[in-house]
Amino acid sequence: MEKIEHTTVSTNGINMHVASIGSGPVILFLHGFPDLWYSWRHQLLSFAALGYRAIAPDLRGYGDSDAPPSRESYTILHIVGDLVGLLNSLGVDRVFLVGHDWGAIVAWWLCMIRPDRVNALVNTSVVFNPRNPSVKPVDAFRALFGDDYYICRFQEPGEIEEDFAQVDTKKLITRFFISRNPRPPCIPKSVGFRGLPDPPSLPAWLTEEDVSFYGDKFSQKGFTGGLNYYRALNLSWELTAPWAGLQIKVPVKFIVGDLDITYNIPGTKEYIHEGGLKKHVPFLQEVVVLEGVGHFLHQEKPDEITDHIYGFFKKFRTRETASL
Amino acid sequence: MEHMKVRGNGIDIHVAIQGPSDGPIVLLLHGFPELWYSWRHQIPGLAARGYRAVAPDLRGYGDSDAPAEISSYTCFNIVGDLVAVISALTASEDEKVFVVGHDWGALIAWYLCLFRPDKVKALVNLSVPFSSRPTDPSTKPVDRMRAFYGDDYYVCRFQEVGDIEAEIAEVGTERVMKRILTYRTPGPIIIPKDKSFWGSKDESIPLPSWVTEEDVTYFVSKFEEKGFSGPVNYYRNFNRNNELLGPWVGSKIQVPTKFVIGELDLVYYMPGVKEYIHGPKFKEDVPLLEEPVVMEGVAHFINQEKPQEILQIILDFISKF
Repeated sequence: MEKIEHTTVSTNGINMHVASIGSGPVILFLHGFPDLWYSWRHQLLSFAALGYRAIAPDLRGYGDSDAPPSRESYTILHIVGDLVGLLNSLGVDRVFLVGHDWGAIVAWWLCMIRPDRVNALVNTSVVFNPRNPSVKPVDAFRALFGDDYYICRFQEPGEIEEDFAQVDTKKLITRFFISRNPRPPCIPKSVGFRGLPDPPSLPAWLTEEDVSFYGDKFSQKGFTGGLNYYRALNLSWELTAPWAGLQIKVPVKFIVGDLDITYNIPGTKEYIHEGGLKKHVPFLQEVVVLEGVGHFLHQEKPDEITDHIYGFFKKFRTRETASL
Repeated sequence: MEHMKVRGNGIDIHVAIQGPSDGPIVLLLHGFPELWYSWRHQIPGLAARGYRAVAPDLRGYGDSDAPAEISSYTCFNIVGDLVAVISALTASEDEKVFVVGHDWGALIAWYLCLFRPDKVKALVNLSVPFSSRPTDPSTKPVDRMRAFYGDDYYVCRFQEVGDIEAEIAEVGTERVMKRILTYRTPGPIIIPKDKSFWGSKDESIPLPSWVTEEDVTYFVSKFEEKGFSGPVNYYRNFNRNNELLGPWVGSKIQVPTKFVIGELDLVYYMPGVKEYIHGPKFKEDVPLLEEPVVMEGVAHFINQEKPQEILQIILDFISKF
């Protein structure tokens, strides 16, 4: 871990903390919520050993990167702009891309609007959801799952932060990470995250050290930055009108655990396996469902995920340009 | 010529269309403060040559919808509208269109080419050259203009909500329209708060040969109906657009392009523009750019002032594709 370099890059109006290691073709790893560069600690070391340059930023709003105060600064265009700026400043023309959770959403959109900057994508957990022209995303979630659905509960600035503040940060992070309940997470206001049961003992893949790292960073930064992505969902929808109906034209491998909440959202399995996802991502080449694996698949099964990523990117070695 | 409404991106967009239904589409994008009507001399000529000329009233203008919120007028909203119009009028998702833009329409056309190069076969842009989002977004475009030209620069005067709308209401839409259409000063539009820019109410503004009282009446009637807030809201999004254009820093326009500007166009005298147009950067940013054309003796409203020449330039260029 000591071999991982930490730098700060000025991009798109923010200072972005970036963890990187290795030399060779560049792989850009994008974490989700509530997560950090640290999510990719295993892959960073593995891919450096495999002859790649592995780069994992703290995305805008997280960890040691800047967190502008207003949710209007967290549209998908801001986040993608940060990453394009990062690639520009590193002198990297095209990257291999890996995303998880919100990082997967960002990855889909980077591929949609700047396909010329991506060789190939391994995305995990969250499928690409095409833009519904008549319904905004938060409104759709509210209609489908009700006001207590976590995305709806995350909308009001300050509200969920107050709930979170009543729970020890390490406990809160642990709850997010080790949940294996595949039902859509609905948390009534009367219960809140503060009312959820204490997490049982840590699984093998998440150490006390890991939890402390996360706990420290999120205690320091707070959750508002990360929550602002959800708060900018409807705004991002409005701003991505130019790409309505456009397919994602990058080679893709998609991996998800069968216990992941996202895989168990009604309709998703059919969407993935019966051609829906392929219609929007015509170069979807492989889909892998990992049995008995939850949401944080790359932390739960790091070697397996590394193998999957490595095997896929190997096919595109002639497409890439080595980093300078 | 038909007039129809296309429902797209949450609004109704009025389009004027002429030409064979299977003709290659030429999408004509007007500027400020204009309408589809600005292309009245090119539409029949394009149709006669077998093209399907499509001239919308852009969001906020004429017979198209004008949402109230300022945030509804980012370049992403407008390009979203145009993608919807293109989808509605083309037979397949793979079909590309020709685009002709002027003034704000030209700026929007650059963005359409950046965001959806798969939709544009070739571009003829008038008056406004391309400009890339700088790497560092911290200097905001309106602040830069204010620093260069002062608070009375027209873009700065347009920022305060309701301000210019009230001034236009007081001066009168007809006077405002005539003053703008006849502006030929090769320099910035400075509008002091004393309203002196618009001239005295007793002094009539003579019209040049290329625009008639009937033309002015058409423009005035539509703007009196709709108001100026929608159109001015485009300017109120300069800073926001800049912030949102991060993904396209360093992006090039990959569409074959013809660019024409009038020698007396105020845009030609904006800081850096002459150097950009005649230097290497324009071609660097737009690799498929033909040699830019500067039309002698012509001012900003080039497609109205030199309609046949502009029609010919368009036809000569798009016939190559």
